[in-house]
Amino acid sequence: MANNINIEVSPLSRVEGHGDLVINVKDKKVEELIFRIPEPPRFFEAMLVGKKYDEPSHITSRICGICSVAHTCASIKATERALNIKPSGQTVNLRKLVYHHENVQSNVLHVYFLAAPDFFGAGSVIPLVKTHPEVVNIALRTKKMANDMVRIIGGRAVHPVRVVAGGFTKLPTEEEMLEMRKMLKACYPDLEKSLKVLKTIDIPDFERETEYLSISSKDEYALYDGNIKSTDGWEIDDQDYLDRINEKVVKHSTAKHCRASRDSYMVGALARFNNNHEKLSDNAKEYADALGLKAPCCNPYMNNIAQFVEIVHSVDDSIRLIDRILADGLDEDRKMANIRPASGRGVGVVEAPRGLLIHGYSYNKGRVKKANLIIPTNMNYANIENDMKALVPGIIDKSEDEIKLACEMLIRAYDPCISCSTHFLNVKLINR
Amino acid sequence: MIFSAGKNISDNDRYMKTDVTIIGFGNRYMSDDGIGIRVIEELKKLDSFKEVELIDGGTSGTDLLFLAKECKKIIIIDAIDIGRNTGEVACIRKDDIDEFIKGDHKSLSLHDFNLSDILKLIKELRIDTEILIIGVKPKNINFGENLSSGVEEKIPGIIARIKKELNL
Repeated sequence: MANNINIEVSPLSRVEGHGDLVINVKDKKVEELIFRIPEPPRFFEAMLVGKKYDEPSHITSRICGICSVAHTCASIKATERALNIKPSGQTVNLRKLVYHHENVQSNVLHVYFLAAPDFFGAGSVIPLVKTHPEVVNIALRTKKMANDMVRIIGGRAVHPVRVVAGGFTKLPTEEEMLEMRKMLKACYPDLEKSLKVLKTIDIPDFERETEYLSISSKDEYALYDGNIKSTDGWEIDDQDYLDRINEKVVKHSTAKHCRASRDSYMVGALARFNNNHEKLSDNAKEYADALGLKAPCCNPYMNNIAQFVEIVHSVDDSIRLIDRILADGLDEDRKMANIRPASGRGVGVVEAPRGLLIHGYSYNKGRVKKANLIIPTNMNYANIENDMKALVPGIIDKSEDEIKLACEMLIRAYDPCISCSTHFLNVKLINR
Repeated sequence: MIFSAGKNISDNDRYMKTDVTIIGFGNRYMSDDGIGIRVIEELKKLDSFKEVELIDGGTSGTDLLFLAKECKKIIIIDAIDIGRNTGEVACIRKDDIDEFIKGDHKSLSLHDFNLSDILKLIKELRIDTEILIIGVKPKNINFGENLSSGVEEKIPGIIARIKKELNL
């Protein structure tokens, strides 16, 4: 048993993952807890200044290879709002369709490749090829399906090039839409098998009540568009995000921490589920029930389950969207809206796979004058810190390996951009 | 047009241009991390590569699994922490990949998986694709739009190396 614990993580040698985690516990109380990674948006905000209206979406899609559709769409929405561009209903539906599949790409990657090894007691996904080949094959098939969906609609599997301010540079054909429908239908047996596997895993029993923020819509389970909603009982127009979301400089990190109603909040699949679970497809609701996911859920480890439930919803809703687009008929005349380079301010808010993503631009005669970007990992910083402060004292009597795994799994459950650094904590216990 | 893949691989291996995929990984806004992307952009300008699948892979490493499955030969260009000097270009062939995996050399570009892990997965999944990795040691991977001069000047040599590899 240890009264004191010192967990230190060296800077991570990854492009988006130079992360540090420092936890010092004395007499079973957390004396110091610091979690920090650098903040790429500040560089991109500066880079956007002076750029023409058709450039920001391509530039910001490069902020992250896993969230490129989210950055593209947030950027486009901000630009369209600022320049008063009205995309067609067809464009919005196609964006929602492509959007679903970045969420599937990312959720598959996280649930099966990064989190599943924890649940199966493996060091990484690689041993699972031998021990749980079906899990790996399901992951590969589902990821491939989502990649193909993004490629068919967006022109590429990552960093889509056809999704632009005003609409699409090229529409998918009716044949491609029907092919995508077939690909989606083919997913269901794998989703069923996944459900059986996920029912067998033990999710750590840890709860801490906090505020959950996501976008929300009365019409659907919001990923692409909606108001900003809090489980603390407020809802605002996305253009007014600054009324509620405050960025705060903290001394131990170059990244800003975000606050809304309290000193921290959570964004991501669990936040979306807590705010919008009633809008899930009936099928996805059944999956959630079967896996014990009920709103409000305050166990951050259940974020993995919420991500899986979202995969089911995205498959269901994509079929609905395809049917609707085909019923309306693909129309070249509605491919692009008129664009007039103007001046104005606009905000684009979407749900990136790992949570609320905000792009706010001011334009002067079609060129960016000012940009503000807030990424979900930044929003989750303070909440991760608060979860750690609650978690560590409760597990201080466990073994070094168990403490290490619980800390790693908690950070990974949030699916932060540094989750790629799968096993990164060096745990040093002192005074044992 | 059928062409030999060159003397460095099995003489029995012969590929159509369309059997070959070249993928560059990296982020063009992170200075030298963008070397893979820059090489792909340069190759796209060349007529001799018109029939070769050229992919700007961004920073998503798992997609390599699918690409490797779908072609007979794949060439990967990436910023890798290997070698001693900035701009040093390392060519890692099939026979060297085990050693590369053992060394756990870091791809500096991928957001989801380390290149070594992807290669391990390719091996575990018994994907039997000919792989050549061209790794370039970066000088600067901070935010920025330009390559360091010591890295940029390697681009013609890398392209010549790829041409030689594919007998173009």
